[in-house]
Amino acid sequence: MLRNHRMGTRLLLLLMFAVFIAGVIQAQAVIPGVTGTSFNLAAREGYLSTGDGNSFYAWGFAIDNEWMQYPGPTIIVNQNDAVTITLTNDLPAWAGNVSILFPGLSVQASGGQAGQLTREAPPDGATTVTYTFTATRPGTFLYHGGTRPGLQMEMGLVGAIIVRPAGFNPAAPRAYDDPVSDYDSAYDHEYLFLLSAMDSRIHDLLEFKKDLTALDEVNYLSDYFPNYYFINGRTSPDVFSEPFVEWLPHQPYNSLPRMHPGERLLMRVLNGGLKRHPFHHHGNHARVIAKQGQLLASMPGVGADLSYEVFTIESVPGETVDAIFQWTGEKIGWDIYGDPNHPDYAHDCIDNDMDGYDDVTHEWCADHGKPFPVVLPEKQNLAFGAFYSGSPFLGTMGTLPPGEGGLNPNSGYAYMWHSHDEKELTNFGLFPGGILTMLIIEPPGVPIP
Amino acid sequence: MNRERQYLRLFLVMVVAGLGLFAAGTDSVLAVQKNIQLSSGDGYIVMADGRPMYIFGFSDISGIVDPQDALAAGQLAANFPAPTIVVDEGDEFYLTLYNVGMLIRPDLFDPHTVHWHGFPQAAPIFDGLPESGISIGMGPQPLTYYYNVIEPGTYMYHCHVEATEHMQMGMLGNLYVRPAQNRLADGTMLGSHEHDNPDYDPDPAQDDPTVGDKYAYNDSDGSTLYDVDFALQMTAFDDEFHDASESAQPLPFYQMRDTYPMLNGRGYPDTANPAPLAAPEENGYQVSQPVSSLVTAEQGQKVLLRISNLGVVHQYTLTTNLGVPMKVVGFCARLYRGPTGTDLYYDTNSVTLSGGESIDVIIDTTDVPPGTYFLYTTNLNFLSNGQEDFGGMMTEIVITAP
Repeated sequence: MLRNHRMGTRLLLLLMFAVFIAGVIQAQAVIPGVTGTSFNLAAREGYLSTGDGNSFYAWGFAIDNEWMQYPGPTIIVNQNDAVTITLTNDLPAWAGNVSILFPGLSVQASGGQAGQLTREAPPDGATTVTYTFTATRPGTFLYHGGTRPGLQMEMGLVGAIIVRPAGFNPAAPRAYDDPVSDYDSAYDHEYLFLLSAMDSRIHDLLEFKKDLTALDEVNYLSDYFPNYYFINGRTSPDVFSEPFVEWLPHQPYNSLPRMHPGERLLMRVLNGGLKRHPFHHHGNHARVIAKQGQLLASMPGVGADLSYEVFTIESVPGETVDAIFQWTGEKIGWDIYGDPNHPDYAHDCIDNDMDGYDDVTHEWCADHGKPFPVVLPEKQNLAFGAFYSGSPFLGTMGTLPPGEGGLNPNSGYAYMWHSHDEKELTNFGLFPGGILTMLIIEPPGVPIP
Repeated sequence: MNRERQYLRLFLVMVVAGLGLFAAGTDSVLAVQKNIQLSSGDGYIVMADGRPMYIFGFSDISGIVDPQDALAAGQLAANFPAPTIVVDEGDEFYLTLYNVGMLIRPDLFDPHTVHWHGFPQAAPIFDGLPESGISIGMGPQPLTYYYNVIEPGTYMYHCHVEATEHMQMGMLGNLYVRPAQNRLADGTMLGSHEHDNPDYDPDPAQDDPTVGDKYAYNDSDGSTLYDVDFALQMTAFDDEFHDASESAQPLPFYQMRDTYPMLNGRGYPDTANPAPLAAPEENGYQVSQPVSSLVTAEQGQKVLLRISNLGVVHQYTLTTNLGVPMKVVGFCARLYRGPTGTDLYYDTNSVTLSGGESIDVIIDTTDVPPGTYFLYTTNLNFLSNGQEDFGGMMTEIVITAP
């Protein structure tokens, strides 16, 4: 729908540019969250911002005296920890009771009032419910509202729990407690992808009516028809901003995965909404090693022998998936660093450990020096992506027409990671937006925090 | 008929490929070079209820050398689905893309791309993602993509420019890669299975991968052996979106719904028509729906279905009334097997795919009496063509006596 030449590209650029540059430098490779064994959560109201400039009313979990956030604080604990989570309900009285469910964890609840599924906190801002569990096994888990769960998840009461395996070593991290000799869950970088959707009609209705029975007059939940789609509580392009930016006070988490060739990136994909989101990751297959916090193993101690490779991670409501993504450019058929005999692209491929790759850069040495296979069209016949470096070669910045490119300062390789229900690449009917982020494979040597 | 057309196209590709045969650099394995040339633009198809539909799409203009001739050949020639691409593991595949512009929407200047969905170890320059690379504008200079084809399996391809719009509008197609195992020497033992390859030749250009035993993947044990294969792509259109595009109105992204669910670009009963559908008046009588979804086999044959979903709104479940299970042997263009060799195959009566997923199932028809059966979505409300409450995502499976 380009009425003017490359208007879409410029729109994308305008939307992203101001917020991106800082983000690409300081994005965190460690998943931000709260750590410890005791956590005070409160359900509170607030407003969510979306990439189209809209905002709407929502509920969320808050930690201590902070503002509510969407998703709720990512709770990071260690295997075998005795974890205590207390909940108070600061929502207005008309919102009713709130509780928390922890699918996949064995939880004891006390205090508050008896509810259908668990103990509940009435909206008095004082009564506390205490949930305790022992983190007996590592993995990725969800927590979410447990009183009218469909409505409470829709309103934003959802978050992630990460249980680190016993003996977790941050210098050599693993997601699961498979044998030390087995590296199925070892990773260099980990990123959270909590996928969700919202139907802002529900939020607007409750904001103005201040009455849950207003939902009985409409079919908004039974005929669910969302208009916003989120990664970690933000729509695109807001996902590219830094975490904890002041202009998104209720949406502290971002999504901007980065890695180097040859590294292992752990994708923790959670579905915290009411519909499924097929999450397609450009670049390469990923190996699904666990679902619902369970390593895909035929028996303990053998590693993820039932794992399998996908190019789209099927994320269904309430489910968590852990997958390992790698990229080297192996067998691509040409030298991804350019002609090594050309002074601008001079580089070696030294493989002393005989694994086929350069020992430092992970270049696939069999392709070293192979020429680029095609002649690219002249620039006036092309449209350029905002994440294009101007060169087909990794780490090389090429010349681009004024106003093109610019969102890829290290000239990495960029890959879209997005919902393959392409309808979900929109913010209330505006493309691009929704569940859409970019993986940046940075050239060797570029620091990634 | 569909198979014959596909093989004809493959034959043409192979002729071109044969001219370009060469040994790749220092590799000891011979590579076959293949080429295809596509145009991208707009056009029309006819839905199963008789309604014309404006689309964006690709068409095959292979062999046309002169750029102006290529542009002319691609005008209003969009197919749905896009031409099926079949290549073999070990091929060096060059795909040349022309952008012929939108005749019905001269106000649009959209570039286009080809995204080989699921291509392993992709580089942005050939990924077809406009945000991270390049896309081709209208005019006589094409963009050529290069793929070193190293992994067999069932993929798919589509344009990725303004993906929600261009995919809803129809720039989607089947793409699969046959495994190198097809070309093993005659008599090679794969577990207890003896490979049959009467036309074996160490030069892959001389060894037709469809002669002799055929497999879905490099399984090492013959467990993905099949006799006949069919690529079936689930898609769906929203007629209001297409009408808005045709009449240059704001596009209803938010309201998008699936109103015309299809297999290979047709609703039932057109799916079971083995011939190309009649050329629509709206595009100047160019055939735009050549791909049938009719599945045919002799009783006793093993049928491989290469199923993908490129719908942009819904997941779909497919089942059959054959009375025998489908065996899932591949998922997302990979043999469905764990890293230590444990088979993850399973028998099922239905498979469910979301957008951007593919699956390979093998149906053993030994116990299926000859007759006509159905492959259909169990999302029964989608057995419809627009307002017509019968049709949609369904096709026929015809089993004949051996």
